[in-house]
Amino acid sequence: MQNNPELEKESDRENGFHKRIKDVDQWWLLVVIVVLLIILLITTKPDPYNRILKFVGDGIWVTLYTTVISFALVLVLGLFGGLGRTSNNKLIRGIASVYVEVVRGVPLLVQLIIWYFAFPAIVKDLGQAWNIQAFMTYKANPIVMAILGMTVCYAAYMSEVYRAGIESIPKGQMEAARSLGMNYFQAMGYVILPQAFRVILPPLGNEFVTLLKDSSLVSVVAVADLTRRGREFMAANFIPIQTWMMVALLYLVMTLIAARAVKWLEKHSRYER
Amino acid sequence: MIMQSDPIIQINNIHKHFGSVHALRGIDLDVQRGEVIVVIGPSGSGKSTLLRCINRLEEFDQGSIVVDGIPLDSAENINAVRTEVGMVFQQFNLFPHLSVLDNVTLAQRIIRKRDKKEAHEVAMELLNKVGIPDKAECYPLQLSGGQQQRVAIARALAMNPKIMLFDEPTSALDPEMIQEVLDVMLTLAKEGMTMVVVSHEMGFARAAADRAILMDDGLIVEQAAPKVLFSQPKEERTKAFLSKVLS
Ligand SMILES: Nc1ncnc2c1ncn2[C@@H]1O[C@H](COP(=O)(O)OP(=O)(O)OP(=O)(O)O)[C@@H](O)[C@H]1O
Ligand SMILES: [Mg+2]
Repeated sequence: MQNNPELEKESDRENGFHKRIKDVDQWWLLVVIVVLLIILLITTKPDPYNRILKFVGDGIWVTLYTTVISFALVLVLGLFGGLGRTSNNKLIRGIASVYVEVVRGVPLLVQLIIWYFAFPAIVKDLGQAWNIQAFMTYKANPIVMAILGMTVCYAAYMSEVYRAGIESIPKGQMEAARSLGMNYFQAMGYVILPQAFRVILPPLGNEFVTLLKDSSLVSVVAVADLTRRGREFMAANFIPIQTWMMVALLYLVMTLIAARAVKWLEKHSRYER
Repeated sequence: MIMQSDPIIQINNIHKHFGSVHALRGIDLDVQRGEVIVVIGPSGSGKSTLLRCINRLEEFDQGSIVVDGIPLDSAENINAVRTEVGMVFQQFNLFPHLSVLDNVTLAQRIIRKRDKKEAHEVAMELLNKVGIPDKAECYPLQLSGGQQQRVAIARALAMNPKIMLFDEPTSALDPEMIQEVLDVMLTLAKEGMTMVVVSHEMGFARAAADRAILMDDGLIVEQAAPKVLFSQPKEERTKAFLSKVLS
C-alpha cells in the first residue's frame, strides 16, 4: 500500500501492452474458433447447417432479448432485495429474506410453469369471484410471463450477490458518509454501491451467463426461443445430431462473448486508473 | 482560553448498553465554544462510544445530548447535527473509489449544494492547509497513512463544521507520520475550532487542550487542565492509568 505509486505506474505501463495481448487474445481466440467453426459448417455444408441457422435465427433474437430485458430488471429488483436483506429494519429484512428463501427453493422450470399456466388460472378464478370481465378473459402473454418468471427467480439470487457485495464494504465507509451528513440513500448511492459494484462484477457476470443458458427453459412455456426453434426444426427434419450441435455452438458463442465482455468491464472499473 | 458558559455541546446523564455491557454509565459533559478537550482512558472505557454518541453514529439508551441548540432526537435533527460536526476516524475511512479531490468535494456538493467550481476551490484551499495540494488527483490507496488522515481532516473541514471529533486519529499511523497529523490538529485548535479528541498523545494534549478528561469503565473519573491532570492527578485510577501510559 505504501509503495511508490509513480514506480508502480511505470512498470504497469511497460507490462501493459504485452499483458493485454496475452490476457485478451487467448480467450478471444476461443470465440474466434467457435465462430469460424460455425462459418465453416455453413459454407461447406449449407444443407443442413445453413438451413438450421436460418430456421432458428429468430430464436437467437428471442433468447437474447428475453435474457437482456430480464437481466436489466433483475439488476433493479435484486438491488431492492439486497438492500432489504442488509436493512436494519426487521420487517423489511424479514420480507426480503422470505422472498429470497422461497424463490430459491423452487426450480426455475416450475416457477415458469406457475407463471404461465397457474397464474392466469388464478386471475380467471378471481375474475369469476369478483365478476371482473377483464380478469375472466385474461390470457397470459408467453414472452411477458417468461421475462417475469426469470426476473423474479434470478432477482432472488441477485439479492444475495448484492448483499455479499454490500457486506464486503467496511462499516467505516457508511459511518464516514453518515458523519458527513449524508442520509442512508445518499451514502448507499455515492459511497457503498459504487464500491460494492466492483466487488460483485464477477459474480454478476456469472449470473448473466447462467441466465442466458437457463433462458432455454422458457421454451416450455410457448416462447419461440433458440431451444424451442431447434426442437421445431428437429421435429420436421429428424436430424438431431446436426441440429443440436448447431444450437449448442450458437449458445456457446453467446456465453463466451458475454464472459469476455464481463472481464473487460472488470478491468475497466478498477480504482486508480 | 474561552471559558464563559456557552456550551456548544451539552451532554446529560448519557447511558449506553451493548447487550449486557454497560459502556456508558451516566456521562455529564459540557463543551464550551472553542474549547479543546482531550479524552484519555484505558481500552474499553467508552471513549469511542461517547464520541460516536455526539453525532449519533451510536444511539444512546438514556439521557440527552444537545449540539449547538439542536437536540439529538429526530432524524432531521440528527442529519442537521451531523453537518455541524466533523469526525475523523482511526482508520481514516477515505472513499477508496474516489480521488482525493472527489473525497473532499462529494459531501459539499450533495449536502451543502455547492457547485463544482466552488466545492473545488474549498477543497484545494483545505488540501493546501493540510499540506498536500499536489495529491489532489491521487487515489487514497496511493497515499501514506499520514497523508490519508490529513485528507480525512480536510474532508471533514470542507463541510464547515462547528465541532470536530477525533477518535484516536494517530493510533493507526507509523511513528514518523504522527507529527504531521498532530500539526494540522494543532493549527485547527489555535484557530479556535471546538474539538473533542480521543488521543494518548500527551504532547498534543499539553500544547493544545484546555481540558483533559480521564474516562474509566463508562464514567468520567477526573478532569482538569492537562498539565494539572498529568502532573497532579487526584484519583487513584488516574494515577494508575497515567503511570502505564507515561512509562
Ligand atoms: N458495536 C459494539 N457492540 C458491542 N459492544 C461494543 C460495541 N462497541 C463498543 N462495545 C463495548 O463497549 C465498551 C466501550 O467501548 P469503546 O469502543 O467505547 O471503548 P474505547 O474507550 O474507545 O476503547 P479503545 O481505547 O480500545 O478504543 C467496550 O466494552 C466494548 O467492548
Ligand atoms: Mg476507541
